[in-house]
Amino acid sequence: MRIFPRLRFRTKLNLGMASILVVMALLLLPLIGTMSANSLVEESKKRGSALAEGLSVRAVDSMLARDFLRLKNMVDEQSTVEDVIYAFVQDKNGFVMAHTFQRGFPVDLIDANKVDTDESLHIQLLADGSRRIYDFAAPVLVSDGRLGTVRIGLSQARIQLAVQRQITIMAGLFAAALFLATSLGTVFARRVTARLGRLRAHAEEMLTGNLDTISGPSWGIHCWEKQQCGTTQCPAYGETRRRCWYIAGTMCPDCNNEGNFQCRLQSCRLCAVYRENAGDEIQDLAETFDVMALSLKSHIDELRGAERNLRDQQRLTRTILDVTPDRVSLIDSTMRYRGCNKSFAESVGLSLAEVDGKTDFDLFPEAEAEERHMAARDILQSGRRLDTQVMVETAGGERWYHVVCIPVLSEDGRIGGLLRTDRDITDIKRYENQLIQAQKMESLGLLAGGVAHEINTPLGIILGYAQLLQEDVPADSQIHQDLAIIEKQTQVCKKIVADLLGFSRQTQSAKREMCFNNSVMEAVSLVRHTLELDKVAIVTQLDDRYPIIYGDPEKLKQVWINLLTNARDAMGGQPGTILIRTRLDTPGGIVSLWVADNGSGIAEDALKKIFDPFYSTKAVDKGTGLGLSVSFGIIEDHGGEIHAVSPIPEEFGFPVEAKGGLDGGGTVFEVNLPLDHQVHEPGEPEKE
Amino acid sequence: MKRTTFTAALAFALLLALCLAPAGCSDDDPVRVDLSKREDLVAPRLTEAITYAYLPQYSHTISYQRHRQLLEYLRKTTGLPLRQIFPDTFEEHVKMVERGEIDISYSNPFVYVRLAKAGAHAFARVIEPSGEPNFRGQIIARADNAAVNSLEDCRGKRWIAVDPNSAGGYLFPLGLFYDHGIRLSDFETVDFAPGPGGKQEKVVLAVHAGVYDIGTIRKGTLDVVAGKVDLGAIRILAETRPYPGWVYAAREGLDPSVIEAISTAMFALDKDTEEQRSILNAAGMTGIIPARDADYDPVRELIVKLGLDR
Repeated sequence: MRIFPRLRFRTKLNLGMASILVVMALLLLPLIGTMSANSLVEESKKRGSALAEGLSVRAVDSMLARDFLRLKNMVDEQSTVEDVIYAFVQDKNGFVMAHTFQRGFPVDLIDANKVDTDESLHIQLLADGSRRIYDFAAPVLVSDGRLGTVRIGLSQARIQLAVQRQITIMAGLFAAALFLATSLGTVFARRVTARLGRLRAHAEEMLTGNLDTISGPSWGIHCWEKQQCGTTQCPAYGETRRRCWYIAGTMCPDCNNEGNFQCRLQSCRLCAVYRENAGDEIQDLAETFDVMALSLKSHIDELRGAERNLRDQQRLTRTILDVTPDRVSLIDSTMRYRGCNKSFAESVGLSLAEVDGKTDFDLFPEAEAEERHMAARDILQSGRRLDTQVMVETAGGERWYHVVCIPVLSEDGRIGGLLRTDRDITDIKRYENQLIQAQKMESLGLLAGGVAHEINTPLGIILGYAQLLQEDVPADSQIHQDLAIIEKQTQVCKKIVADLLGFSRQTQSAKREMCFNNSVMEAVSLVRHTLELDKVAIVTQLDDRYPIIYGDPEKLKQVWINLLTNARDAMGGQPGTILIRTRLDTPGGIVSLWVADNGSGIAEDALKKIFDPFYSTKAVDKGTGLGLSVSFGIIEDHGGEIHAVSPIPEEFGFPVEAKGGLDGGGTVFEVNLPLDHQVHEPGEPEKE
Repeated sequence: MKRTTFTAALAFALLLALCLAPAGCSDDDPVRVDLSKREDLVAPRLTEAITYAYLPQYSHTISYQRHRQLLEYLRKTTGLPLRQIFPDTFEEHVKMVERGEIDISYSNPFVYVRLAKAGAHAFARVIEPSGEPNFRGQIIARADNAAVNSLEDCRGKRWIAVDPNSAGGYLFPLGLFYDHGIRLSDFETVDFAPGPGGKQEKVVLAVHAGVYDIGTIRKGTLDVVAGKVDLGAIRILAETRPYPGWVYAAREGLDPSVIEAISTAMFALDKDTEEQRSILNAAGMTGIIPARDADYDPVRELIVKLGLDR
C-alpha cells in the first residue's frame, strides 16, 4: 500500500499516462475492432449487394438474347474484384448459364441461397470447410417478370483480414502513442522534477541555515529597466533578488499598494513587467520561496539583533544585581523563590538556577526560615512594605542586616510577589557603636577635664604644703619621710590630672614650625638609656630629607615617648628591638612615622579598643590606660591619624636580624601627619 | 477508495472487451457447402416453339417489357407455344427471318419491304396511339428562328435527324425534301441523335436548344416531350404524307393455320377492355388490324425515290 506514495513523480506521471492509454486501448480496441468489423462486414455486404444487383441489371439483355459469351464476360469481370470468390448467373429454372469456376461447377451452390422475386437481395453465409463465404443472391427482373438469379460469393476471410489489419494498426498506434506519451512524460517530468529538486535542495539548505540560496530564475528584465524608472528611493529599484510584485510599498504609478498582497498581485497581472517576467506555478513557488528566505533572513537578523540587545540588557541587569553586595531575592505568591542575585545565592550556598522554585525552608535554618516565611506571608497579605533591621547569628559572629521587603504588583493590581533586599550593615552598626562610644568618651573627657581642673588647684596646694612641711622637719625624721610619700603620691595625682586634662585637650597647645626628625630623635635620646637597661634596642630609619611640620614639639615628643614605652612594655621584660621609621610623602602631603616592635603583639579584638581611655592590658599599678588615648587625642589635634597593625605585615620589612623579641609577631603603630597646616588650621575649632 | 475505483474501471473494461470481442465474429449459422464437388452442367434442351421477334429498335429489356403481355395473351388465346427471341441488330433480324428462325416478325415498314423480298408477307398492322393506322414525319424549327420559314429555307441549314433507319424521323422527311428538290448535300450538316433510346426526344431538345436549325421527328413526339420543353418555342415547319405503320409479317412457309389463329387473336384485341388495353398500351399500340402487302407500296416508292434499294 505504501509503494505508490514512494514512487518518483516521473514514474507516477508515466504510470498515469500509460494506464490511461492501456485502459483506453483495452476499452477501445475491442470496441473499435467490433465496430470496424461490423462496419466492414456491412460495407462488404453492401458492396456485394451492389455487385449482385448491378450484375442482375446488366445481365438482363444478355439473358434475353441468351448471349452466353457476354454473360461469361460479365461474371468473369466480377471475379476480378479481389475478394469475389465466384459469380454465376442462373436462369429462372435454376440452370447455371455462366459461372467463373474453371473446371465444373460446385453443385452444392445451386440451392445454397434462394431469393424470392419480391426480395431485392438475399445474403447467406456459406461455410466451405474453414472458409466462410457471403453469398449474395439477386433476382434478374424485367418489369414484373423474372428471368433468373445472379449469385456472387465474397470471402469473409478477407473481411476478417481487413479487420485484423485495422486492429493491428490501432494497436500499433496505441503503442506508438504510449511510447510517445511516456517519452514526452519523462521529458516533461524531468523538467518539473529537476526544478522541484532544486527547490527541495534549497529548502534543505535553508534547514541547515543557509538562507542565501536563490531558487527562482535570474532571467527577466527588472522593473526599473522596463519602465525606464529613475525613482532610486523606491524599494524595488535595484532589487535583483526579488521580483517587484513581491515588494510592498513600491512607488511605481501603475502599482496598487492599497490592498493586501492578493489585491496587489491582481493589479500586477495587468502590468507589462509582470507579463514579461512571470512564469508558471513552479517559478512562482520558487520566487515566493526566495522572498520567504529573504524575509526570513531579515527577520532572523532582526531577531538576532533583538536577542543580542536583550542579552546585553540582561547581562547589565544581572551585573547590576550581582555586583551589589545586597542580597536581592524575588518570591512569588506561592512563597517560592523566582529569582535572586549572586550575593543571595552565595549566602545560601547554591547556584542561581538552584535557588529557583525553592522555599525559605529549603534554604535557611528552621528558625530563620520560619521568621522569613511569616514576614513574607504578612506582606503578601497586607501589601505593606517592611523596612527593618535584623540580627543573625553566624559562625563568624553576629551579623546585622537591613531588610526591605516590597510587594510586587502584577498587571491587574494584585500582589504577585515580593522583592526582598538584605543589606549587610554589620560594619555600619559597629561604627554606630563606635560613635556612641566616642560620644560617651567625649562626655567622659569633659567630665574628667572639669573634675581634673577643679582638683588641680587643691592638689597644688597639697603639694606646696607638703613641700613646705618637709622643710620644717628634719630630713631624716619619720615625718619627713611621710611628707615625702605625700608629696610623691600628690605628684602621681598631679600627673593623672595633667593626663586627664591633656586627654580632654584642655592643655595649652603651642604649635609652630618644627623639624619632624628632630622631634623623634629627641624622644629617642630621652628613652634610649632607660630602654637599654631593659635590653631593648632602638633602630632608627629616619628620612634624611628632614621634613618640617607645623605642630607642638612637646606634645608630639610625648606621643613618641608614649609609643616607645608601650613598645618596651610589649617586650614583657624580655630583650627586643624597636624600629622607628619616618618617611616623607611629598605628593601625598603627609609625613609618616612607624614604631614597630617585636613584642607580644596585640589581639585582634583588643586592637579596636587600644585607643579607648583607661583601656589597658597592663597590671593595675603599671599604667593608667590613658597613654594611647592621649596620643590619639594629640595626633587628631594635629589633623593626623594613628592606627596599629598586629602582627607586623611581611611587606613592612622589620629587620630579621633584630635581637630578641617574642613570638607574638610584634606590633606596628603608624602615625600620619599632614605637612600643610594651612588647609587644616581654619577647620580646626579653636579651644583657647 | 481510489484504488477500488481504479480496479472497478479496469474490471469493467476487461468485461466489456470480453463481451464485445466475439460479437464481431458472430453471424447467422452458415450453410455448409462443398465447393470441391464439381460437375459439368449441360443446358436443358429448349422446347419447340413459334418464335416471335420485335425489330431491335430498343434494348432487349424494353422489347421484352413491351411485348411480354401480348405474347402471354397470344399463348393463352391460341394455345400455341410462342417464344420471344431477341436479335441484336436490324440486319440480324432480317437474316433470321430469311433463315426462318423468326416465325412472326414485328418490324417497321422499311424493314418489312426487305423481309417481303425474302418471302415474308404482312398479315396485320397496328393502329398508332394517334388512332390512325398510318404515321407521318414532321420537320420542326425554333419558333424564333426567322431564317427558317419554309422548306426552301432549309437549304444550307444544320439538320438533326433521329436515325438513318428511322422512318418518321429521317426517311419520310428526306422524301419530302427530295420532292422539293433538296438533296442531302444541300444541308450544311446532317447529324443523327446520339446514343440508344429517347432519340426522338433528343432531336426536339437539340432544336430547342438552338444547336441545330431544323429537326425531323415522327409525328406525336411533341406530345411526349410536352412536359420537358415549352412547345410554344417549337414551330412545325412541314409534315410528310402519311405512310402505313409497323407491321406483323409471317415468314415464308409458316403454317397458315398458325397465322390464322394468331391474327384472329390479335384482331380480337379491344382497347376498350381494361385488360386488353393494358396489353396494347404496353406494346405502344391501340389496336391491330388486317394488312396486305400492297399497303406498303408507298414505302417501296419512297425507297426507290431515295435510292435506298441500290
